[in-house]
Amino acid sequence: MKFFLVIVALAWLLYRGTERLGYNWQWHRVPKYLVTFEDGKLILGPLMDGLIVTLRICSWSLLLSALFGLVTALLRMSDSFVGRALARGYLELIRNTPLLVQLFFMYFVFAPVVGIGRFGAGVLALSLFEGAYASEIFRAGIVSIDKGQWEACHSLGFSTFHTYRYIILPQAIRRIFPPLTSQVVALIKDSALVSTVAIYDLTMQAQVIISETFLTFEVWFTVAAIYLILTVALSTIADTLVST
Amino acid sequence: MKRKSPGEFIIEVEGLYKTFPGGIRALHDFATRIRRREVVVIIGPSGAGKSTFLRCLNGLEDFERGTVTVDGIPLDENKENRLEIRKEVGMVFQSFNLFPHLTVLENVNLAQVLVRNKSKQEANETTMSLLEKVGIPEKARVYPSQLSGGQQQRVAIARALAMVPKVMLFDEATSALDPEMIGEVLEVMKALAREGMTMVVVTHEMGFAREVGDRIIFMDEGMIVEEGSVEQIFSRPQEERTKQFISQIL
Repeated sequence: MKFFLVIVALAWLLYRGTERLGYNWQWHRVPKYLVTFEDGKLILGPLMDGLIVTLRICSWSLLLSALFGLVTALLRMSDSFVGRALARGYLELIRNTPLLVQLFFMYFVFAPVVGIGRFGAGVLALSLFEGAYASEIFRAGIVSIDKGQWEACHSLGFSTFHTYRYIILPQAIRRIFPPLTSQVVALIKDSALVSTVAIYDLTMQAQVIISETFLTFEVWFTVAAIYLILTVALSTIADTLVST
Repeated sequence: MKRKSPGEFIIEVEGLYKTFPGGIRALHDFATRIRRREVVVIIGPSGAGKSTFLRCLNGLEDFERGTVTVDGIPLDENKENRLEIRKEVGMVFQSFNLFPHLTVLENVNLAQVLVRNKSKQEANETTMSLLEKVGIPEKARVYPSQLSGGQQQRVAIARALAMVPKVMLFDEATSALDPEMIGEVLEVMKALAREGMTMVVVTHEMGFAREVGDRIIFMDEGMIVEEGSVEQIFSRPQEERTKQFISQIL
């Protein structure tokens, strides 16, 4: 009931605010940017095209950041001094500089040097950034496994690889899953930044539409709702997976 | 890997020193030799360094000075040597340390397949006969959490035996068990001793020590205070410290 009242109050405030601005709401113009029908065929509008780009970027970044995260976590816990130093340097560098700067660096400096496109640069920047945070999650999950498990493996003559592969990681992954989900949600939100290097993701498409039509409020509301649906759906799926 | 010709002693320990952070002396010039087929029982007050010594034998614990040789293989910086020793030495822990995400069968199978390179079928056969031996073949398909403490520890023993070790180390294997379950685990250990397994046992079970111990080592403050046969240690202890300890526990 309280929640409902707050929503009503907020809606009223927004309504009054826009009225004072003299904003002309034109919601009916929005749907065609999502989907249109032509000759009975479904044609995706620019916002849906943007969503697909966002999903592609996120999927690749998710895969790569999981890989970076796991490798970094294992390096940080390894016996090798060089490995630990490398992992440490990577973490400090990534966590202490802005993602936007990393993205620009990837796009303007790194990408031309090695010859990857803007899509590759965007994915790489995002994966390196999220990978640094994912590695801390992996590490926390791995160190939470009882020391006795390691000792049992050692006493049976397992190699370090076998110990991780068959004993430690299968147990750690169950504990890692919930915090990793919030990291993926963060990834989806952060992916909006790739619009700054002219990748036509959901956010970029929104900017283009607005500059052409001045439907500022309607389009940003719609885009925010799409991101919200995406992340809430993801969290819900993850929750169901964990509880089964 | 340099391997001395394996002699009469399967384990040789000389001048072992180990200090824990904070200056706590765990092992101080510890030396002993263990014959093949010998059952050595280590007793002593808690904090005496019993478990530390045991864990030094398969490299679970590092030591500062001294030498450990198992079946002719020196336990040193060489990782290959350490791995080789671990294959020959089985260990049973106070807290069982079974793999909770694997069934009993998989727990016992895994090392056979990964370390001994057996086929799954061979491993299965060995596992079933070992589970038979420790008295719980019917539990092969269940997970460790569904077993009682005594059953879990018997699985842990089977898991260690699956590697066909030359020596078995028991680190207070019955200390975490409810009293009514201690018997079933001790029975398995006694049977092993009778079969001629070389065993190093840290325990507070004096009945067990008397029954199967070939040699008793009484240690305190990281040193051997006194060692000898069951008869010597329990009935005619020489050292004052030993007498005091024996009178307290008997």
